[in-house]
Order: sequence, then structure tokens, then C-alpha cells
Amino acid sequence: MAVFSSTTKKQNAARHRALWSFGGVDKPLLMLISCLGLILAGLAGLDTGLTGLALVGLGLLLGMAFMGFQYGFASGWRRFLESGDASALSLHFLLSALCALIFIPVSAAGLGPSGSLAPVSVSLFIGAFMFGTGMQLASGCGSGVLFSFGGGSGRMIVALPFFVFGSVLGSIILPPVLAWGSLGQVEIGGGLSGTGKLAVNLVLLLGAAVFFRWLSARRGFQINRALLVATLLIALLCWGVFWVSNHPWGVTFGFTLWGAKIVSAAGVPIEEFAFWTWPGPQRALTHSVFSDTSSLMNFAMIIGAGLTAALTGAFAKSAWPNTRQLQAAALGGMLMGIGARLSFGCNIGAFLAGTASGSLHGWIWFAIALAGSVLGIRLRAKFGF
Amino acid sequence: MNARQTTPKISPRLIYITLLSALFAVAISDHLMSPALSNLGAPTELGNACAPCGAPCVDAKPKAD
Repeated sequence: MAVFSSTTKKQNAARHRALWSFGGVDKPLLMLISCLGLILAGLAGLDTGLTGLALVGLGLLLGMAFMGFQYGFASGWRRFLESGDASALSLHFLLSALCALIFIPVSAAGLGPSGSLAPVSVSLFIGAFMFGTGMQLASGCGSGVLFSFGGGSGRMIVALPFFVFGSVLGSIILPPVLAWGSLGQVEIGGGLSGTGKLAVNLVLLLGAAVFFRWLSARRGFQINRALLVATLLIALLCWGVFWVSNHPWGVTFGFTLWGAKIVSAAGVPIEEFAFWTWPGPQRALTHSVFSDTSSLMNFAMIIGAGLTAALTGAFAKSAWPNTRQLQAAALGGMLMGIGARLSFGCNIGAFLAGTASGSLHGWIWFAIALAGSVLGIRLRAKFGF
Repeated sequence: MNARQTTPKISPRLIYITLLSALFAVAISDHLMSPALSNLGAPTELGNACAPCGAPCVDAKPKAD
């Protein structure tokens, strides 16, 4: 047990030392990414004022936090399934509990921002399983693909386009699959007052965090302090996004929008498909990519991760993956894209936002995506890694 | 495991710079050619949305004229 603990500590320490070493600033990249960030902030600020600027800033900070701390969902879940190290899962549920502290009471009080609820549907089960499989193949979830792409990961340079086009495919598939059956939105503690609902959900979320902490400790794994700090930091940023945008942070709709815009430009009449006739997606498709919260924040997150990678010289440290790994990334990206649309989001939009909003779909997403991860890990071996 | 890593003719860094520049060029072009909203939006805000992506509640019946 002590060996497990010691090894994990050394690995984690090495990982964080490598990223925060500021070994060699990549000045040309720093200049390029800074310029792109200034253009993004300028355009967002001109149209949407302080709201746009604030969301660009929050996205940038999220990108920096995720890249700097290498805050991953896919790798943490894989460590749990492979070695029993559930410390990352414990932190993920802690993050959700911290978000719930703001999301649930603010939503209940009707102050403007509202949580993220989604139906418990057949599509949720299918999509979450596909997503879990895909995120292990690609070695990154929605946020992971985004920040790792921003940080120059060769694997994610391949995974992201497949994620984008997979999610367009998912948008075409979603309407008929939704018709296969749904219980509608199910709120945990829905019949209770705001305080009661918060209490029930906090008990569940903190209970899960403590349970996974206990599982880790039994096997000799400890919570990484740097990742604990990252969890607190990301929770603060999620509160900010919730307050400024009126919704919990989400990643994958932005990808779907990017893909739809690209296929539309290529002459595909995407606006005629049922998903894109729904009022929300239709508005997004007919307006600028910087007019959608998720899309705007995705661009900002890429900038934030890119700045961190340029400052720390991470580009020089990353090796180009072999062909099989790139094939796995492509397949994983495609599965995640389709899965995200069918299951109403990724680890951020479905799991984190869902559980922190007291929506049952978030919990189901977690359980099914974890099961999908088991298959994904087995498939990784088929791809030779 | 990574012994047979591919060695692309152009460096990964150059691929990254090209893709990043292309992504932002396309996005900025789209922004300049599309109507922009004065308020940022999310799909869940419109219609009878039941999910963050704007999917309507499937059990909801359309209102009669």
C-alpha cells in the first residue's frame, strides 16, 4: 500500500513540476496566442460588453487552471478502474458539491441564473456509455480535449475535429433517439424547499466524495494537494460562469455549433434537420460563433491553455503520438461527439452541471459513463497503449 | 510502447500553429459575416427547452392555434 502511495505521489509531483517549471518560454507562440486572445476579447467585448469580456476571462482562467494542473476526468476515472485510486473521483464530487452550494439556492431563489436539468431518457444511457468509451480512447473528455488541444497535444489535434463532426452527427441522431422514451427531467429533492433540496444534494455529493476518498485511502492513495487547490479554484470559476452567463458551464454545444457551421458552409442543409429547427440551436446557428456562451468560452479556454503551454514550454515537451494512438483518438473523438449530444453534455455539462444542479441525469451520466470507460480501457489495449 | 512514434514531415508545433490560426480565422470570419447578439445566449433559454442543448420536452404537446 505504501508503495502505491509513494509511487502516486512521485508521479503526481513530477507531473506538476514539469508543468509549472517555466522551463522555456515559447515567445513566438506566446505572441500568437496573446494576439488571438486580444482579438477574441475585443470582438466579444464590442458585441456583448462586460458579459462577453467576463466570460472570455473566465474561460481563459479555466483553460489555464485545467492545463496548469492537468486537471483531468478521463485519467482520474481510468486510475480508479485500473488501480483503485479513486482520489480523482473524490475531488470531482467535491467540485460538484461546491458548485451545488451556489447553483441550487440561486436557482431556487429565482435570482436569474438557473441550474442544468435534462431528461432521464434512453438517449442519456446510450450517449453516456459512448462518451465514457470515447474519452478513454482519446485520453481526454470534453474539457480535456479542449485544454489539451490548446496546449498543443498531437492526440487532441486529431481528436477535436472528430469530436466536432461526431457531435454534428449526434445532433442529427438525437431527435429520433429522444422519441424512444424519456421520464422527463427528474430533480433530486424536487418537492422540497430550496434549503431542503440543497441539503439532500449536498449529502449525496459529499457522501460520494467521502466514499471515494475512503476507497482510495484503503488502497493507500492520498488526495493530491495541488489537485485539491485546483478543485477549489475551478469551483470558484464555475460560480463565476454561472453568475455571469445565467447557466452552468458547458463545453460540447460549442463543438456542435462549430461543426454545424462548417458543414453548412460546405453546402449541407444542416438547418433543415430537426435539432437545428429547435429555437435554441437555430438561434445559435444563425448568429456569430461568439454569440453562444459555450462556443465563446471554448475559444477562450483554448487561449488559456495555449498561454500556459507557451509560458511553460510544454510544446517542446510533448511528443507526437504513434499512428495507433492517433486512430484511437479519432475514434474516441467521434464517440464522444455523438455521445455528448445524445446524453446532453460531457463531464462538465452533464456530470458536473447536472449533479450540482440536483438533476438525476447527472448521476446516471456518471454511472453509465464509468461503465463505458471500462470498455474504453479494454479497447485501449487493442490499440496498443 | 512509444518506440514507434510517427515522425511527421512537418513538426507538430507547426501543425498546431496552422490549425489554431485556421480555427480562429474561420471563427472571426463567421463573426464578421453573421449577425451578432448584444446578449450572449444559450440554447436552453428559448422554446420549450428541457435540456442544455435546447432539446424540447418530448412529452409536451404543441399548443393548438
